[in-house]
Amino acid sequence: MTELVFYIFAFLVLLSALLAVTVSGLVRSIFLFFATLFSAAGLYVFALADFIAITQVIVYVGGVLVLMLFAFMLSDKDVLNTLQKMQQKVFGMQHIAALLVAVAFLVVLVTVITKTDAEIPGWMQVSPEKFVQPEDNTANLIGVQVMTRYLLPFELVSVFLMMALVGAAHIARKEPRS
Amino acid sequence: MIPFTHFMLVGAILFCIGLYAVLTKRNAIQILIGIEFMINAAIINFVAAGQYDKDRMGGQLFALFAIVMAAAAVAVALAIILKVYQHYKTIDPDKIDQLRN
Amino acid sequence: MTLDTPVVLTDLAIAAAILPLLSFLVTGLFAKPGKGAFLAILTIAISFILSAIVFSQTWNRLDIHQQYVWFTIGNTSFYAGILLNNLGSLMLLLVSGIALLVHIYSTAYMKGDAYLHRYWAHLSLFCFSMLSMVIADNLLLIYIFWELVGFSSYLLIGFWFTRDAAVQANKKAFIVNRIGDLGILSGLMIVFTQFGTFDLQQLLGENGLIINAFVQNGEWINGVHTMPAVWLTVAGLGFVLGAIAKSAQFPLHVWLPDAMEGPTAVSSLIHAATMVAAGIFLLARLFPLFNDTVLLVIAITGTLTALMAATIALVQNDIKKVLAYSTISQLGFMMLAIGIGQYSAAIFHLTTHAFFKCLLFLSAGAVIHEMHHVKQVAPVDFDHQDIRNMGGLRKHMPVTFIAMLVASLALIGIPLTSGYLSKDAILISSFEWAALRGSWSKIIPVTALITSWLTAFYTARLFFKVFLGKNRWRILSPEGHIHEAPPAMRYPLVILALCSTFLIFSVNPLLYEDAWLLRGFPAVESLERINIIHTVIPALVNLLAILIIYFAWQQYARRDKTIFTNRGFFYDFAFNKWYIDNLYQAAIIKRVLNLAAFVRGFDRVIVDGMVHLLAKVGQALATLSAWLDTYIVDGLVNGVGILSKSIGNFARNMQTGKLQHYLLITLFIVITFFIVTYFSLAI
Repeated sequence: MTELVFYIFAFLVLLSALLAVTVSGLVRSIFLFFATLFSAAGLYVFALADFIAITQVIVYVGGVLVLMLFAFMLSDKDVLNTLQKMQQKVFGMQHIAALLVAVAFLVVLVTVITKTDAEIPGWMQVSPEKFVQPEDNTANLIGVQVMTRYLLPFELVSVFLMMALVGAAHIARKEPRS
Repeated sequence: MIPFTHFMLVGAILFCIGLYAVLTKRNAIQILIGIEFMINAAIINFVAAGQYDKDRMGGQLFALFAIVMAAAAVAVALAIILKVYQHYKTIDPDKIDQLRN
Repeated sequence: MTLDTPVVLTDLAIAAAILPLLSFLVTGLFAKPGKGAFLAILTIAISFILSAIVFSQTWNRLDIHQQYVWFTIGNTSFYAGILLNNLGSLMLLLVSGIALLVHIYSTAYMKGDAYLHRYWAHLSLFCFSMLSMVIADNLLLIYIFWELVGFSSYLLIGFWFTRDAAVQANKKAFIVNRIGDLGILSGLMIVFTQFGTFDLQQLLGENGLIINAFVQNGEWINGVHTMPAVWLTVAGLGFVLGAIAKSAQFPLHVWLPDAMEGPTAVSSLIHAATMVAAGIFLLARLFPLFNDTVLLVIAITGTLTALMAATIALVQNDIKKVLAYSTISQLGFMMLAIGIGQYSAAIFHLTTHAFFKCLLFLSAGAVIHEMHHVKQVAPVDFDHQDIRNMGGLRKHMPVTFIAMLVASLALIGIPLTSGYLSKDAILISSFEWAALRGSWSKIIPVTALITSWLTAFYTARLFFKVFLGKNRWRILSPEGHIHEAPPAMRYPLVILALCSTFLIFSVNPLLYEDAWLLRGFPAVESLERINIIHTVIPALVNLLAILIIYFAWQQYARRDKTIFTNRGFFYDFAFNKWYIDNLYQAAIIKRVLNLAAFVRGFDRVIVDGMVHLLAKVGQALATLSAWLDTYIVDGLVNGVGILSKSIGNFARNMQTGKLQHYLLITLFIVITFFIVTYFSLAI
């Protein structure tokens, strides 16, 4: 039963992503993007990563999506409309080539993936007791690891975020008219 | 248990969809969406692999870092897009051929 | 300033010679077309005045000789300088005087010519050359100016260079003179070898080298240097050859009649004082050099020339041609005088002849000038120099008529004219010379006598045909009018007419021995004075001459009809100028031309053929290398170019400038690389 739910989520992820890419209209694709991210969060739960799933929803749905909508709303509507028209018109070499490359990547990836062991990769089967169990408190585990083993990356990420924040604010500020 | 391979397949397909979007879209925001798809595909793989490592929680933590970085990247990218739009009155990457005017 | 110091006189003489050169340079370099007359006349007038001063101060006084080191070769120094003795200063005065009159005459005669500035420049050069030659003190300088005289006469004869005849004539004059120059050069070399100097004073002065040299046992001994005696003769003949060419003697006289193609004023200058006088002058200068053989050659040549030219002059119809042959004839008389040792008589005749021949030519020029005007309004074209088209000009041109009358009488040698004096001097001397020599030598004076009667006839014929008789030109040009010559032409005629009388030469009009000019030169070979000759010969000559003139008057003036036919051997012989030109044409010119044609053919076929073959080979090689260059070398270069261009185009087409293309290509390469690697591993 739980497996069925997983495949439904997986299907939702792929369907919404495909639609997000193919539909015309920026707003639609943004909302379909939101659906994809939300479904991906569902997938994380099945990988026993509830904390990541929550973070995904908070950061992406609460942050990234809102940012995108802002950006969309700040853009000129006419420009976006003409862009959309052009998009419909052009379905030439670029699209076919891109499709071919994408399909080639897919084929390669799928080939590689299917070549691996059916259930769990061999290197992972060394110590089954170390697998994360559904009853484990992942938040606790993550917190311990962040404060011990991954302290430096954690701090670096925080600094990086700070830089990104300041940089984004600097770039987006209005230039003084000369 | 969901087989690891299935996570990877979902991630692979999502990656390819994102790739396609990046290659074809004429709108910077949609390209950004494609990039986010590809990052999410990576995150799915991180998370899926992370369930086999309780001691270090490497997969989940790197998924966390990736989300944070993706968010930061989106913030900066959107700021650039806005700026570019102000300057060129378009967000078609093909039309933006100058770094300075 | 005292004029009689040698230095001052030398400077004056040099100035007289150099002034025309100045005029030549200024006119030749700076004159505008049609200008230059003033400067030329001014310089020649000053030259004349200076010459007169020099002449008055040097005549019958000590010779003046000034010289400066010219250049040095090894131990031998060459001097250049001025020698003013009686001969030199007389010639200086004569040349500048005649040249002045010709210059004045030319202002009117040459009026309106397009290249007048060239005319004046060349005339000045001509005067400079001649004046310098007569005062030069050494043979080398004389030779240089001799050549300059030849060259400037070449320029003037060919002055109307657009006429083919003029070009042929000046070429002929130049080439014929070259033959003579060869003789002079040989003579110069022999003299220099024998005596080691060119200096005239050293060679010919008091106790000069030539006079002190003697012939003994077939050797020509100098005291220092000795060579076979035959070289003395050869040297003399060399100089004689030069004089023959310059003074138009048989057989090199052919250039002078042709030289009539030049302007008439130039002809008069050539015939009177400058060009042809140079030959006689040279012989007179070098007189002591000549031995008996050479003198005999000179005498025979002169006599033969005199007779030949007189016979040719009898039948010529061109007014200038008749005068040209009369000049040749008179020059023959001068040669004869030199040949019999009386070079004083030769110079005397040269001087008198200069005046009356100049007068004849200038008068003829005036007539031609007017006839030319008549021709311009005539309905038909006719030869305006042909005496058959003239006649009856006496009433229209009285001054010219009188001038020509005086000149013609002088040429014939009628008493009271200057010609009588000088001609008698030659004739009588020749008889005295023949009396000394014996039977065969009588041929020479008798021929001269006959020639002087012939002279009377052709001169009378010319004169009567032009000035008396019917107005034949009226038939050809009914509207033409003949006027007296313009003043610039008339006054020189009058002056020359006065100079052609006995007045300025002698107080006694009948006896040549009283002439002051003749006494200025030493009698080199003293002849015994045979009194009967001095009476009989002039009487005989003049009586018969008057009869001949009367006969000619009957023929040409009164009846305008002649008893002579234009047929017969003698007529043809004379009319064709003794066939000398034809002989040259057949014997020399044709051969030379044939040789030239052969050489030209050789040059064309063999030499040019080789050159052309080389050229063909070179061309073929060049074509081959051009082909190689075009297709191989260029092909290589172009191939590289095309290759890099197509690669560039290929690469350029990838560089679309579109971000997504780059990304697409990058990914394509990545995936291709991956697939290839993967499958190569798998296999």
